[in-house]
Amino acid sequence: MRAITYTRPATAQAAITAFAQAGEGARYIAGGTTLYDLMKLGIETPAHLVDVSAIEGLGSIDTGGDVLRFGGMATMADVARDRVVMERYPLLAEALGKAASQQLRNMATVGGNLLQRTRCLYFRNGASGLYPCNKREPGSGCAAIGGLDRGQALLGQSDACTAVSPGDWPVALVALDASVEVEGPDGTRTMPVADLYRMPGDTPHLEFTLRPGEIITAVMVPATAAGRRSTYHKVRDRESYAFALASAAVALEMDGETVREARIALGGVATVPWRARAAEALINGAPLTRERALATGHAAFADARPGRHNAFKIQLGAEVVADAVMIAAGRAS
Amino acid sequence: MSALTPTQDRMRIDARDKVLGRPLFAADIPLRGLLHAMTTPARIAKGRITAIDTMAAAAVPGVVRVFTHEDFADLRVTPATLGGNQPGFQPLTGTEIVFRGQPVALVVAATLEAATEAAELVEVTYEAAPFTATMDEPGAEPQPYETAVEAGDAAAAMASAEVTVDVEYRHPQNHHNPLEMISTTAHVEDGRLIVREGTQNTNALKFGTAGALGLDPQRVDAVSPYIGGGFGQKNVLQLQSVLVSRAAMALGRPVKLVMPRAQLFHTASHRPASRHRIRLGASRAGRISAAIYESDQENARYDHFLRSAHNEAVSRLYGIPNYLGRERLVRVDTNPPGHMRAPHEHPGSYAFESAVDELSYALGMDPLALRLANDAERDAISGKPFTSRTLAACLDRGAALFGWSERRAAPHSMVAEDGSLVGWGVASGAYKGTMCPCVARLRVQADGLTRLSVSGHEMGQGIRSAVGAELMELLPIRADRLEIRLGDTTAIDQHHTAGSWGTGGAVPAVRAVVGRFMAALTELGGPLRPGESVHTRLMALKRPVLEVEIEHLGTSQGPDALERMRRGGVAVVGPEYPDFVSFSWIAHFVEVRVEPTTRRIRVPRVVSVADCGRVMNRRTATSQVAGGVVWGIGAALREAAEIDPRYGFVLNNDLADYVVPVNADIGAITVDLLDIADPMLNASGVRGVGEVAMVGAAAAVANAVYHATGKRIRHLPIRIDDLL
Repeated sequence: MRAITYTRPATAQAAITAFAQAGEGARYIAGGTTLYDLMKLGIETPAHLVDVSAIEGLGSIDTGGDVLRFGGMATMADVARDRVVMERYPLLAEALGKAASQQLRNMATVGGNLLQRTRCLYFRNGASGLYPCNKREPGSGCAAIGGLDRGQALLGQSDACTAVSPGDWPVALVALDASVEVEGPDGTRTMPVADLYRMPGDTPHLEFTLRPGEIITAVMVPATAAGRRSTYHKVRDRESYAFALASAAVALEMDGETVREARIALGGVATVPWRARAAEALINGAPLTRERALATGHAAFADARPGRHNAFKIQLGAEVVADAVMIAAGRAS
Repeated sequence: MSALTPTQDRMRIDARDKVLGRPLFAADIPLRGLLHAMTTPARIAKGRITAIDTMAAAAVPGVVRVFTHEDFADLRVTPATLGGNQPGFQPLTGTEIVFRGQPVALVVAATLEAATEAAELVEVTYEAAPFTATMDEPGAEPQPYETAVEAGDAAAAMASAEVTVDVEYRHPQNHHNPLEMISTTAHVEDGRLIVREGTQNTNALKFGTAGALGLDPQRVDAVSPYIGGGFGQKNVLQLQSVLVSRAAMALGRPVKLVMPRAQLFHTASHRPASRHRIRLGASRAGRISAAIYESDQENARYDHFLRSAHNEAVSRLYGIPNYLGRERLVRVDTNPPGHMRAPHEHPGSYAFESAVDELSYALGMDPLALRLANDAERDAISGKPFTSRTLAACLDRGAALFGWSERRAAPHSMVAEDGSLVGWGVASGAYKGTMCPCVARLRVQADGLTRLSVSGHEMGQGIRSAVGAELMELLPIRADRLEIRLGDTTAIDQHHTAGSWGTGGAVPAVRAVVGRFMAALTELGGPLRPGESVHTRLMALKRPVLEVEIEHLGTSQGPDALERMRRGGVAVVGPEYPDFVSFSWIAHFVEVRVEPTTRRIRVPRVVSVADCGRVMNRRTATSQVAGGVVWGIGAALREAAEIDPRYGFVLNNDLADYVVPVNADIGAITVDLLDIADPMLNASGVRGVGEVAMVGAAAAVANAVYHATGKRIRHLPIRIDDLL
């Protein structure tokens, strides 16, 4: 069988060193829910696995201060059932709780989840050599363009790639202007979650802005009163255990019946977690009505460029945003 | 023999073992020196192999052997050698590639990991040929129509009908996705080839393997201990079965192959896509006078799945005097389709019962009332009586349980408090009442043990519970020491178990073997005294063991049926018998709620009332019906193989992307069974329930969606995209 070396260091520094020493083909592994899946599909073929699950302190959850801090190795299940998260940030709890299955959430980490790769069917079947895929093999082409594109992106796609960013958690984080703390060979840095993701452009094989050897050590969410009036609304092909056809993370600050500030991000429809700023602008300062909420939803898709089978997501996505706005507004501040 | 009274409530016979995880499925059985196999699937949909390089694969540590078509070229493969009930094409016997994902190499290694890696390293060079992936693509070859059902003069009656509908419905390709993967494990022991598979057809496995390998069938044993979901996908010799057996013989060690799920989408059978054009003619009063139903169904270019049967059941739902059913196959370059739960009756009833629903609106008539108004006294197609005609009773009972009388007639007229659009739909279903030959041996010991060996396969449907119930109804034995052996050609001769004939074949055979047993016991020392167990009586008679065996035929079958079974074939009778026709019946009532904004479709409740004759075990039968309804919901709202015609392969080839319902998709399912014995069909009064359970369920969902929204979607699955 294909040999893989495996180490499980106890500190971040040791992990970074091990990663550097392993050289080409090194991968960090946390919960393993994505990496093992892609290894079985032959899409990821690491030679060296550096397991970050034993790193001291990476699993901590601190929701007491001005910034909520989730260690990169905290599991999705643990964060989803944190009392502060549940009570004051329902969009975070819902984004986590509506992802995958309980078994997967028990294993998957809130750091690793940010790096989940696309569910594009052509990408996932790519190791067979059947389907050209610029993400898997740069320059080979994109089978999804002109193909079965019901699940492909309407926002942010390029002529090289239309693969959807699959996550729920990153969408909620982008809505709350969250950031990640990253430790690597050159030290520690922080950056907005939104900056973690690259648009596909001509280089869809480059998905993240992490530098080689960097580890997401923490996810940080600025505490905000908007968290209480929030929701993560996810519509999919079945009630549970499915990726989003369209989803919306919405958090609102209200003055009576007027929206003072809305934060809206979209999932399931774009190549990266998609902050819908133009839509936010349309509803900020406006009295809240379903009509206005729906207009806001449509504004979020004003730049959408549908393919052959996914145009329905413009209407669907607008309704999802509108429903999310109304659900969020209905929650006590 | 006692009267056909309702059976006692009994726990599923293997419930405790299954909850404890005790049953060993075919691929679980440990064998010393076991080797693992893996196949290499073809990366083209059609063409031929020009070269295979196995060097890299063979060099993987642990690899024992890489087999290619050159190693299997001498396999004798015709439908006849394969037992007459499986694809007529055996991969790996030549260079020709005739379908997507066809196995082109079989790697055997000491570990599964080595076999898997090596299978990926087999280098195959192909010469690709143009292909046609679906029946909507250029190159699809429609075969001539065949008349399937004909009664009266449908064309003339249609021309003079006061109200007509003319509609076309489409059904996509579906895949079974049983939890237990398809597998074969083979080894040679004491000069016998022993093959284990989770199969509904050990008979085909035994005779097909023997035929293909040129062995004496009496030196081949086939064993199917349990099946983790069969649903028709496991009712034929699989494409890998013979290959694994040959590999085990060549290597002199046990070999096991478990096909990965992604490969099953291309190597195992599936429900083919189909198109259905239905014309109905009726009087303004709602009497259906004419039906013309034409169907197209995808098929492989070459294979054995030679006919569809969309008309057989639906032509019996109502008393339609003028009926013409024509069916044709459309050949494309696919792996062979096959039987998938209610294989013809599900798509047929989906289309037909949707058309009947459309007719009800065209007539301005309640869809339930229209169905009841067209009930049949006798079978309008054959002119014969039904053994049991209880569709109206199922509809009436279901309507009462569901509260149908509260329904508002107009589409888009019922709205829930939360704004959801509410739709109520109804549909009928029927499935042929079939039987097969069956051999049964009953051994009772004075020490308390009872062993019943019977032709049949346990695929989770509960055949052990059904045959065990009949035995315990008739014979005072110790239930806790009852062993039931089936699915094993070393236990007793086997017959293919499918088509809802398992219970109809085996339960009357059990009644017959009990009759023989009681006669033998009486001969030894008089009838049982009240309250006395057979074990006690044997003890008193100083007989440690009494064993009897019988051969039982399906009603109206002759001894040739048993002969055919004993040559590895299938010998099924029904629904038409010399003096009557026989069907199981069902009525489904479905409520859907459609979210007004995003158009999500939910199914909060279903009521299904079935009549399958005498109910042998209410728990397993109820479970069968609930499962069939879940399948109907899946077919109606979720499931479809996504095939890009440029490539020909199924893209959504796993359980994440081939969307079957999850628990959260299923609301309340209320099942009722009429439990009316059918002594005209057989001595036990039983008919099958596993297939009829699903028939009509998808139509009831689709009809409810129309009632909720006023939008008639004429294809499955109905998804958000269709309703926005």
